[in-house]
Formats: sequence, structure tokens, C-alpha cells
Amino acid sequence: MDILKYILKRILQTIPLLIIVSLISFFIIRLSPVDPLAELRLNPSVSQETLERETQRLGLDKPIIVQYGKWAKSFVKGDLGITSNGEKVSTKLKERIPNTLLLTTIVILLTWLVGVPLGILAALKWKTPTDKVLTVLTSIGMAIPSFFFAVLLLIFAVRTGWFPIGGLTSANFADMGFFAQVADIAHHLFLPVIVLFTISLAGLQRQMRANMLDVLDSEYVKFARAKGLSEVQVVYKHALRNAVNPLITLLGFEFAGLLSGAALTEYVFQYPGLGRLILEAVLKSDINLVMASLMMGAIMLVLGNLIADILLIITDPRIRVKA
Amino acid sequence: MREVLIQLWKDKFARIALIVLGVIYLALFFADFLAPYTKDFSDRSMAYVPPSKIFTIDENGKFSRPYTYNYIREFDQQNLEMKYKLDRSKKYYLKFFAQGQSYKFLGLIPMKRHLVTVEPNGRLFLLGSDINGRDVFSRLLFGGRISMTIGFLALFVLFPIGLLYGGISGYLGGKIDAIMMRFAEAVMSIPSFYLLIILASILPSGMTSIQRFILIVIILALIGWAGFARVVRGMVLSIKNQEFVQAAKSIGQSKLGIIIKHILPQTTSFVIVAMTLSVPSYILSESGLSFLGLGIQQPDASWGNMLKEAQEFTNIIYRPWLLTPGFLIFVAVLSFNMIGDTIRDILDPKSKVK
Amino acid sequence: MKWVVYIILVLVIVMGLLKSCINRDIPETTSFQNTIQTTKEIIYPEDQKTITIDGVDYLQSQAPVGNFGGALTSSTIGEGPKTFNPFNSKDNISSIMSEIMYDGLLTTHPISGQPIPKLAKSFTISDDGKDYIINLRKGLKWSDGKPITADDVVFTWRDIIFAGFGNTSTRDSIIIDGKLPTVEKIDNYTVKFTTPKPYAPFVRMLSTPIAPKHIFMPAVKKGTEYFETFLSTNTRPRDFVISGAFKLKEYVPAQRVVYERNPNYYIINKDNKKLPYLDKLVYLIVGDLNNEVLKFEAKEIDTISLQGSKVARYKAMESYSDFTIHNLGPDTGTMYLAMNLNNRKNDKGEFYVKPEKQIWFQDVNFRRAVDLVVDRKNIVLNIANGIGAPLFTAESLNSIFLNKNLQPYDKNIDKAKELLKQSNFSWDKNGQLYDKFGNRVEFDMLTNAGNTEREAIGVMVKQDLEDLGMKVNFKPIEFNSLVNKLVNTLDWDMVIMGFTGSPIEPNGGKNVMMSDGTLHVYNMRLAKDKNSPRYNFEKRIDELFTKGALATKFEDRKKYYDEYQQIIYDEKPFIYLYAPTRIIAIRNKFKNIFPTSLGGVTYNIEEIFIDNEIQNDKRSK
Repeated sequence: MDILKYILKRILQTIPLLIIVSLISFFIIRLSPVDPLAELRLNPSVSQETLERETQRLGLDKPIIVQYGKWAKSFVKGDLGITSNGEKVSTKLKERIPNTLLLTTIVILLTWLVGVPLGILAALKWKTPTDKVLTVLTSIGMAIPSFFFAVLLLIFAVRTGWFPIGGLTSANFADMGFFAQVADIAHHLFLPVIVLFTISLAGLQRQMRANMLDVLDSEYVKFARAKGLSEVQVVYKHALRNAVNPLITLLGFEFAGLLSGAALTEYVFQYPGLGRLILEAVLKSDINLVMASLMMGAIMLVLGNLIADILLIITDPRIRVKA
Repeated sequence: MREVLIQLWKDKFARIALIVLGVIYLALFFADFLAPYTKDFSDRSMAYVPPSKIFTIDENGKFSRPYTYNYIREFDQQNLEMKYKLDRSKKYYLKFFAQGQSYKFLGLIPMKRHLVTVEPNGRLFLLGSDINGRDVFSRLLFGGRISMTIGFLALFVLFPIGLLYGGISGYLGGKIDAIMMRFAEAVMSIPSFYLLIILASILPSGMTSIQRFILIVIILALIGWAGFARVVRGMVLSIKNQEFVQAAKSIGQSKLGIIIKHILPQTTSFVIVAMTLSVPSYILSESGLSFLGLGIQQPDASWGNMLKEAQEFTNIIYRPWLLTPGFLIFVAVLSFNMIGDTIRDILDPKSKVK
Repeated sequence: MKWVVYIILVLVIVMGLLKSCINRDIPETTSFQNTIQTTKEIIYPEDQKTITIDGVDYLQSQAPVGNFGGALTSSTIGEGPKTFNPFNSKDNISSIMSEIMYDGLLTTHPISGQPIPKLAKSFTISDDGKDYIINLRKGLKWSDGKPITADDVVFTWRDIIFAGFGNTSTRDSIIIDGKLPTVEKIDNYTVKFTTPKPYAPFVRMLSTPIAPKHIFMPAVKKGTEYFETFLSTNTRPRDFVISGAFKLKEYVPAQRVVYERNPNYYIINKDNKKLPYLDKLVYLIVGDLNNEVLKFEAKEIDTISLQGSKVARYKAMESYSDFTIHNLGPDTGTMYLAMNLNNRKNDKGEFYVKPEKQIWFQDVNFRRAVDLVVDRKNIVLNIANGIGAPLFTAESLNSIFLNKNLQPYDKNIDKAKELLKQSNFSWDKNGQLYDKFGNRVEFDMLTNAGNTEREAIGVMVKQDLEDLGMKVNFKPIEFNSLVNKLVNTLDWDMVIMGFTGSPIEPNGGKNVMMSDGTLHVYNMRLAKDKNSPRYNFEKRIDELFTKGALATKFEDRKKYYDEYQQIIYDEKPFIYLYAPTRIIAIRNKFKNIFPTSLGGVTYNIEEIFIDNEIQNDKRSK
């Protein structure tokens, strides 16, 4: 019961947050001198009447506050509006969200699978060359501008012919069998995953290392050691669990971070994900699309945090629910 | 502080990183002198030429003062190709500490001496030239000034804001804290890169390059303050109940006074670690912005916008000298990371700063 | 031990440095001798002709007979199509993607540029230039088996286009003196169009796709709003009923569009077998030029349009690779420089352009001086890697209306200075330029940021203008902001931009050239200024465009359009810089490739086939 109440309270708390996010985003975007109809205007064959109709349809002739009101009203109703090209925002998002989820899930899984053990290793070997080398190695990945790394990998792909040049599926994807399809997607995902993985690995590895050091220093680990438990038992039974817990709280932010970090990578690899969609929408000031995507991002973040909190309550009895 | 520096020097990786950064910053400081040309000098008949070849043994096999040849290019109508060839009709000898193009050292002292120049009409492009026939080596030095300072400047804007915001929020607590933190969280939950692009695209167009530079700095700062403020608040929460704070309170110091004089100084080590570790992310952000054409604009140089030219497939294959800014970004960021990691280990090994 | 390592390290570095310093000057033997290649001359087939078999009026291809099967993979840059409804498309890619499926009554001859019948069997234009009689092919069917008749044509024109459904630009461009043309059915296979006045550009409009009435009718009945979403990108491929060579098979957003062969197409080969040869046509959606080239190099796509430095790479590879490069001559895209000739005030009562700048920009000597110092030769060499040509005319170099009397010239600083002196400009001892009132000549020059080409041109033009003592603040700004300045806020001085033109119909550029056009960049008039005074040359160009559209004979029209090009050439409201050359590469396995400047390489997509021998050859290797 307490947990339910807590969840309810947390959900209510997120509403003002979402309102602030939408207000900030909306006003900043509308402040920009960018014209959402620029592309149409520059097309010699589009007439004045067409342009006026588009202006009205997008409500660009009204004051900002009215535009926001109009947007907020339909957003609450679940209507995300249409893009500046006249497509439904919801269908565009639906096309892209699964692809982005696929990419980010794989990247997060991989980073955890590699980053957590490396973090533990570094913490156990604290102040030894192993620790140092690990830190330097992981920061190499962080030091290359992601778009540049992506371009270099693409050229590698061209030169060797080992990987497809961007995209998510091959042209004859529809005619393949199920397993061939899975293999095809994996083949396409390889390079973008590598780029995003190397970027986010360093952060997680350091986080894990710091947590582990923290925990290894704590009273109960000392106590466990004093009890005469073997080092393996101390590390894997007691320390590890407590060191991973704080990482769970980060999941939500990690997802938001990837959404942001993936934009340029998705762009270079022509990956049909949300990041590239938002990037293109922002550059065109396609307000409905940008707003919907940013809200999606914020909601996913909030949800991620909420799930992380609940997971923590369930796994860690020390955290009391203050309902 | 001395202690930290000594320990930093003891660490092998950090020492290399310090030396590398030292060399880079020194070179940038003396950019005007080291660069054979000014930032905007161009010879359009020598666009995209490869790095100048410097000879010390002449065609007769004898030692000679170092000299170079100019390139001539010709358009091959048949193969639709631009061809480059050394123009061996005239040698241009290198001159050291000689008079060259005039510049103002540090923007103040008018000077003409350059470390190395070449005889009149000769062109010394140590790292080749770009699409407009500008010297890549010189532009790297001038561009580095922007790329390597932008992060620090952003931090100088960001830290006071973050410290004060976090300090006030944490110290006052209650409703004010809740509201301030909700706002900071809202800013944090907008994916930062998109916020960055949106803000950068708002920049009014009628700006001088310096205004634009300052505004980009401010934008970068606007993105980062919220996360920083949140951590500061957390620290303040734990500090504010300590005895010395209570003591200051009982003397009757103002709230702002207590925050600035007593509480914030306690966060110094965290601030230092956060600073060194966030400089590289700003260098990378600048290059990302420039990749999209929203960062530092032509004709000004930054490593980011120079790297943009190197994106093209054929440029990477045929004109590898255009990739040098990417290499420098990599080296600089890696060095900053190594120093940051080491400082963190010295000051605060359990720090949660990424 | 440690110091040994250090010494070795230092030695290696010193040796390395010495090695790079001590360079022996050994003359190379390479020279600029061009290897002469013999390019195979293309033998164009005869024009396609109508042939009647069993009461069906087929169009017969005269190209060599090939074999069936295979796919051609091409690419499109950008976000991909936004609709598959040809009447809704507002962007180039959506138009291409939807018009593949719907043929028009007429099309353009790929060599001569004249209108020729396509879905129509024949057409005649009355002597007064007002009536267009179209005879349809008998026995043609939509892909669902329903016959294509005059009813479809009348429905398309009257109930979709004239009624203002979808993108109304076709409709808007054929309003003549406030009146629309009329269309009537004569019999099941004959349609008559009547324009209120003779109007030459109308015949080009007849290449607009024809829609199947039985499919579009229900959508039209539901109103314009529903029509906007009709046949959108979410429509199931099997719901398309088409007349074109290919039909949508699969659309994967942001990745590709796949078309499959229409088995009932009305074009046949010389063996009377139904075309097209290819089973599939694939367009990969790629985000930028760089990715496209990489995909071509990795053989993911079969044909590509090449720019600048890339041409040299593929030209060099051509002899030992599996593709051929076709030079199609100058592109229709043009790059120009323009000054803001606006002399009006905004809502706040301020001039859009500062008065002192107005005096400069509105002075034809000033504009000519700017034109004379622009170094077009080096722009072509540096920016386009030599793959282009300097441009001096408003019509593109491959236009059938190009005024060939307008001569090119080189950069000439002295002449430019002379012109400035005539307008009482003067220079101080530092060579800085001042106008006759003592104002320093300084202004902003804009272009869209992120476009390496235009930024580099801007850097060059800035230097050129500084040769004249002008101070130019070059500012690349974000594309959408730039457009907003050009068409809404109008607060700009000088701009570098590009247009795409039409090589066959100058009237397409009337939005740019006519003084009330929506893209009359150099002197944009907002709605409130519609009736503001025109410059004399603007008035004359307005007249010429009106007359040019109303004239029916090519020679008469040419005269009008020649004069308008002459005026632009003399008055320099647009200073044209260069036109890139169109270079297209296509894999050798594709046969029946007859590239033309007007049509490109794949205009005859139904005739293109894959030579199996070449394909097998590659495989066996």
C-alpha cells in the first residue's frame, strides 16, 4: 500500500516537471527566428496562397502564449499535432521509437556488461597500473568526437566491405527469412553500437569504480572481512550489490544521455532513430515534432527514474518509504 | 594545492598529459609568432595543396639551406581532375626569425617577426592548405585558441551560477529548495544536445565573431549549470548542519554570507575535479556544434569547424592533412581526462563526478 | 635501466625529425600529359512510337531489346518522401517518388526538350494557341484493370487541380488574368483544354500526372482536409492503383522506397513484350552527399550524381571498375550573389536597408563593380574542383532559352574601380572605400551555415570585395533563419544563395524574376508593399515574362526571354557565379543508357535492363 501511495505521489510530482519542461522548450523554440516554412518558401513553385494556408494551419500568425495554450491542450488530449510537412507527429514517433529503443537497449546492456566488471576490476586494483591503464583506455573512447569516429568507421566499412554503410536493414530485407533478418539488423547495428558504446563506457566504468571504492571502504564490508569471509565472498556477495544499487538510479539519465549523444551518430550512420529525427526537426524548427520528441524524452527519463526508485525500494530495505 | 600538483607530477600518465597540454597552450599563446601566416591569409591559386616539401639537399646532391617549391595546379579536362606539381623553376629559401606578415602580438604589440617564413611569393604550408588556399598549420594555431579556451570560459560562467544556485537551494531548504530543484531537474531532463542546438540556432545573425564566441560560451554554460547545482545542493545539505555553520549563524551572519563564506569553500575539491573533467566535454560540444554549422563560423577558425571540412570521404582519402584538427581534439581531450582522473583520485577517490 | 629507454626514445624522435628535414630534391618525372581516352559515342535510339496491337495503343520503345529481371538501386538525399500522392507533394523528392507511379498526358523529349505524348496518343494545339486537343491511347488500363479514359483526365484536372485540392501550385501557375483554363470531354478518348488566352507554359503543365477517378473520387468527396492525408506514406502499397512503370512495394521510413514492376505497362519493346525490364526499383534514403558516395563506393547503390573532387576519384577508377561516368554538361542549379535593392520601410517606419547602403546597392555601377571583381574562375577551380563553369546569365547554361550573345569575362579590378569612381566613390590612403558622402563602405554578407561550398565562396568573395576597399562582414547563418530574412524580415545587405531552374521553361522562374514573386529575392515585396513603385528594369522584366508566357511560338518567346537575360546581365540584380557540371556514374551492367543533358540518365527507366553476361562475369571472378 505504501509503495502504491509513493508511486502515486511521485507521478503527481512529475506533472509540474513536465509543465516546466514544455514551457521552457516551447518558448525557446518559438523565440528563435527560424522559419518553419523556410523550405516551402524557397521552392519557386509554391504559391503565396499555399504559404498562407500553411501559416494558418500551424498557427504561426498567433501570439506565442496562444500557440502554447493550443499545443498544451491538444497534447493533454493525446493529439501530438502534425509536422511542418503535414504528417502526423505520432506516426513519425512510432516509426522511430522502436529503432531507438533497440539501439539504446543494446548499447546500455553492452556498456553494463563491460563497464561494471571493468569498474570492479579497477576498484579492486586501485592504485595499481591495471587501474590506471583501464582508466586511460576507457577515456580514449570518450576523447574522439563521436561524429568523426563514426565517419572514420564508415570509411573503414567501405574499404573492407565488412559492414553496410549505415541504415538499419538491407534493401532486400522484406524477402529474407526470420533469422536472416535478425542477422541483417545485427550487421547494420554493429558500427553505431561500437561508437555509442565507446562513448558511454568511460562514464559507467568510472561510476562503478567510485561506488565500489566507496562500498569497500564501508563499515559492513570491514565487518564482513573481520568475520573472516573470503575476499571473493566479500566482494561478490556484499560489496557488489550495494555498489550496483546507485547505478540503477542512473538508468533514467543514461537513457536521456544516449538520446542526446546518439543524435550525431545516428545522423552519420543514417540510422532511422529518434535522435536523427529530433536533430532534423530542431534544425527546421518543426515545433510540433520537436515538442513531442522532447516531451517523450522527458517522460522516458521520468519513467526511468521512477522505475529505478521502485526497484531500489524493493531491493534495498534500508530505504524507507516516506509517504 | 602544491601537494596536488606534486602528486599530479608523480603520476606518469598525468605528467605526459600535463606536458602535452603545456606545449599546446604555449604554442597557442605564441600562435602569432609560430604561425607563418595570419588566420585569413590565403592564396587561392594554391587551394588544397599538400604540405610543402622542404629540401635540405639540392638536386646536385649538395647540402643547402632549407628551401621549398611552390605547387602549381592544373585542371585535367580529360580526367576531370585537379593535378598538383612542384614548380621547380624557382626555389624559395626558408627564413628563421625574419620579418613576415604583420600582426599584433596578443592583440597589443605590433610585430612582424615569425619563427619561420619563406622568401616573397613562396608559400610555406607546413600542413597543406584548405579549400580557400589558407594555411592549415596557421589556422590550427589560431583555431586552437578558440577551441581550447571555450571550455574554460564556459566553466567560469557556469560555476558561479551553479554554486550559488545549489548553495541557496540547499541552505534555505523547504519550499524554495523544492521549487528551485524542480526547475533544475526540468532543465536537466531536456536532452542537452538538442537544447544546445536550439539555443545555438536562436543566436541573432548580425553578430561579430567575438559576440558569437561569447554567446556560444554562455549557451554551453546554460546547459551545464543544472546538474552541477544539484550536486552542490547535495553537498550543502550535509555541510549546513555542521558546527562551524551553526556557529556562524549564532554570530548573526547573513544567510548569503554564510553560504558564500562558510559553506561553498567546503566544496572546493569537488569543484576542481568537476572542472577538469568537464572541460573536454565542452571542447567536444563545440566540435559537434560546428559539425552542424552552428558553432564558430567561417572565416574564423576553430578545430571544430576545420574538422567539418574533413568529413568528406574524398578529403579523408586524398587530403589527410585536413584531419589534423581531429587529431588535436583527441589529444587535448584525452590529456584533460587523464589529468582530471588523476586529480580526482588525489582529492576525492570516491567522487561521483563522471 | 630506465634511462636507457629514455635515451632510445629521444634518439628515435631526433632521428625522425632529422629524416623529415633532410629531404633530397630529386626531380620527379611525372608531368601533366593527359592520357587521351576515347569515350564511346552514344547512339541514341529513335523516338518511341505508337503501335496498335489488338486495339491497344501501345508505345513502342525503339531501343535495343534486353532481358527482363533485376533491380536498380538509386538514392535520394534528405528525409525521403512525405507523401505518395502526386497532387499533395510540396517537395522535389515526394514529386519524384509519386510521379514514378502516375504518368502524365505528355512528357518532355529528352534531347530536344519539346513536349511529346506519353499517356496521350497525340495532341494538337489550335492556331490561336488556346485549344489543346488530346487523344488518349485506347485500351490502356489502370493497375486494377479499370480502363484509362477521358473521364479520368477530366476528373484529374477539373475536380482535383482546378478545384484546389492538395498543392495548388499547378493551379496557381495557370491562372491567366484571373481565369482558369477549362477542360471538357469530347468522347471517351478525346479531351479538350481551353485556356482563356494563348498561354505557352500550359503545354508543360500537361505532364501533370493523371489520377484514377474511381480511386480518387471518394477522397475528393471527403474534402480538402482529408485529401491532404490521402495516399500518404502510411498507405498500404497494395492500395495504390497506378498507370506508371513502377508501383510502390515497400516504404521503410528514413531508409528506402522500393517499387516493383507494373506488369501491365503500356510501353513495349521491339519484340512487343511489355516493359519495364527491371523487376524492382529501389531508392535508398540517405541523409547527405557523403553517405551517398560511401554507399556507391560500397556498391550499395548503382547510380550517383557526383560533385567536385569526387569526380576525379571515380574518373580515375572508371577504367578498372564496374561503372561508367557520364558528363551531362552544366546543371540547372545556379549559385548567385544578390544585393538588397529594397527601398521601402517596415512596419516600424524604419528602412529595411540603411539609407546609405541603399544608395550603394541601387547604383548599377556599384553592382557592376562587385560583379567585375568576383573571381569566378577560381571559384570554379577551388570550390567545384574544376567541375563546373562560370555563369553570367539568369537562364542555366543548358537551357533551350539561353541567350548565347551574353559574353563571359574575367575578373577586372581596374575596370571595377573605374566604375566606382564614376559614381564618386573614393579611397583613402589605406585603400579603404568611401562613398561620396564620406561613409565607409561596409556591409554584411550572408549565406547558409553548414554548407561548405557556400561558406568557401563567401570567404573568396569577401576577399575579392576587399580588393576594392570594401569592408565585408561575412556571416554564415542557419538556413531557416536566412530564408526568414530573405522573405520576411528583409533586413539583409548581400547574400550568396542558389536556385534550381528549369532548362525548358523560363516561366518556372517567374516567382524569382517578376516583381511581385514570392522569391523576388533582390527586392522582395511583402503583401503590404504589393503596389510599391518598381524600378524601370523590374517593370520591363515583368512585361517580358507576361508576354513570354502568352506567346506561343518558340522564336517569339525566345526573343522575350533573351531580353530579360540581357537586362539581368546589364543591371546585375543577381550576380551569377557558377553552375556545377552534372556528372553521373552508373554501373556498366545496366544497358540502354542514353544520357542527355535535359533528361539525365534514368529518364527512360522502362528501357533500362541488366546485361546478364556482365553480371555473371563479375560473379565468376
